Amino acid sequence: MADSKSVLFKIRRQGSPHTSPHWEEFSLAWHPGMNVISSLMEIARNPVTRDGKPTTPITYDANCLEEVCGSCAMLINGTARMACSALIDKLEQPVRLEPLSKFPIVRDLAVDRSVLFENLKRAKAWVPIDGTYDLGSGPRMTMEEQEAAYPLSRCISCCCCMEVCPQFNEDTGFVGAATISQVRLFNTHPTGSALKRERLAALMGDGGIQECGYAQNCVEICPKDIPLTRSISEVGGAVMKQAIGDLFRK
Amino acid sequence: MRAGQGHSFLLRRLHSLSGIIPVGAFLFEHILISNATATGGPAAYARQVRFLGGLPFVTVLELFGIWLPILFHSLYGFYIWWRGESNVTDYPWTGNWMYSAQRWTGIIAFAYIVWHTWTMRFSGIDLHLFPGAAFGKVQAEVFHTGLFLFYVAGLIAASWHFAYGIWLFCAKWGIITGQKAQKRLLVLCLAFFFVMTGAGLASLTAFRSRPQQPTARIRSALKAVLTPPKT
Repeated sequence: MADSKSVLFKIRRQGSPHTSPHWEEFSLAWHPGMNVISSLMEIARNPVTRDGKPTTPITYDANCLEEVCGSCAMLINGTARMACSALIDKLEQPVRLEPLSKFPIVRDLAVDRSVLFENLKRAKAWVPIDGTYDLGSGPRMTMEEQEAAYPLSRCISCCCCMEVCPQFNEDTGFVGAATISQVRLFNTHPTGSALKRERLAALMGDGGIQECGYAQNCVEICPKDIPLTRSISEVGGAVMKQAIGDLFRK
Repeated sequence: MRAGQGHSFLLRRLHSLSGIIPVGAFLFEHILISNATATGGPAAYARQVRFLGGLPFVTVLELFGIWLPILFHSLYGFYIWWRGESNVTDYPWTGNWMYSAQRWTGIIAFAYIVWHTWTMRFSGIDLHLFPGAAFGKVQAEVFHTGLFLFYVAGLIAASWHFAYGIWLFCAKWGIITGQKAQKRLLVLCLAFFFVMTGAGLASLTAFRSRPQQPTARIRSALKAVLTPPKT
C-alpha cells in the first residue's frame, strides 16, 4: 500500500472480445465500508489511472448490490466471487480484478454467461404451468420438502460454481453444478416433477452430469451456500436409476 | 451440454464401474488374499499361485477380468484427465487436492501395473507352469532397493486410487448422498486404504525377510523341458 489512506487496484482491461488485454492501476482514497463495486463506481466517476492518465470507465456487470442478483461475479485476487460483497478492508492490496476466465469476454470485467441460461433451458429448469385454463392451486408441499427445496432456490446464476470447476470447459461441455442443482429443485417440486424424466434424460447427454469429477470446488465457492455436491449426488442417483430402468423397460 | 445426446454418459459410467468391478475387486483379491499368503512362506504362496494358475479358462479370465478392464479404465482415465483443467493452485481445497491426487495416483499405478504385468506374467519364468518359482521370482525383484521402492509406490498409489475411488463411486452414483454420510464413508475408505497398504507392506516384508528362494534351478528345469532333445 502506498499510504494507509489509499486503496490500490490492479484491473485487467480489454476493449473488445478481439483485442488483447492489458492491466491498469488505480488508486482511490480509502473510506469505511467500501467494496469492489463501490470502488468501480468511484473509478467511473473519475476514470484516471494511478499515474494520472485519463482512461475509460471500467465495464462491469452489477445490479442489486446485495448479493442476490448474481451479476457481479468476477475474479478478485484470483478467486471467483461477488464483487458487491467483497469488502475492501478484507482484501489484500493491490486488489486484483479480472473477468471470469471461462466465459466469453464482452469488455473489461463483463463476460457473457448465457451458457447457464442455455443449460437451464436444455434441462427444462422450470415448473410447467402454461395452459389454456386455470389449473387451480398446486399440490401442497410438506415442511420437510420446503426446507430441502429452499436452499436450492437461492441460486443466483452467478456462475462461480462453473468458473471454479476443473471439469467445466469447452472440451467437456460440462453443464455445471448450478443447472444440476436446479434439476433437483424442480424434480422435487410436486408440479415441476412432471418434467422429471426429460430433465434426467437431458443430463445424460454429452457434457451431462457424468462429467462431474467431484472436486467439490462448487460447494466451497457458492456464495449462497447451496448444497451443490449433495444435489449432484442426488441427481446422479436419479439419473442412474432412470438409465438402468430404461435398459430394461425401454 | 448436448442434452440427451452422445455416448459419453455410458462410457464415463462404465469407467466408474470398471474401477470397482472388476479392477478394484481384482486389486482386493491380489493384495488382501493372494499376496497376503506370502506371509505364510514360499509353500503357501506357491499353493495360491498354483490355484490361480489352475483356474479354468484362466487366460480368458485374465483377459476379460483384468487386462482389458484395466486398459479401458486407464486409457479412458487419461482421456478424462486430459480434458479436465486442474486448478488446485488457485483453489487449494481438500476435495480439489483429492481430484488431482486421483489423477496422479492413477498414472503411477498404471506405470507400475504395466511394468509389473510385463515382468511377472509375460517375461522370465512362466508361473502358470512353475508356481513353485513364484516366491523366488518376486524376491529377485524386491531385494533390489529401487524396484522395492517402486513396489511400495505402486502399492500406495493403487490402494489410494481404489479407496478414494470407492468414495467417488458412492458419491457420483448417488449411493451415499448426505454430507454426514459422505464423511463417515470417507473415514471408512481411509481406513480401507491403510488396511490395503498395511497388508501389502506385510507381504513385501515377508518376501524380503526370507532368503532368496532358488528360481535358477527351476529355470534350468524349464529349459530342459522346452529344449527339444538332440537326436
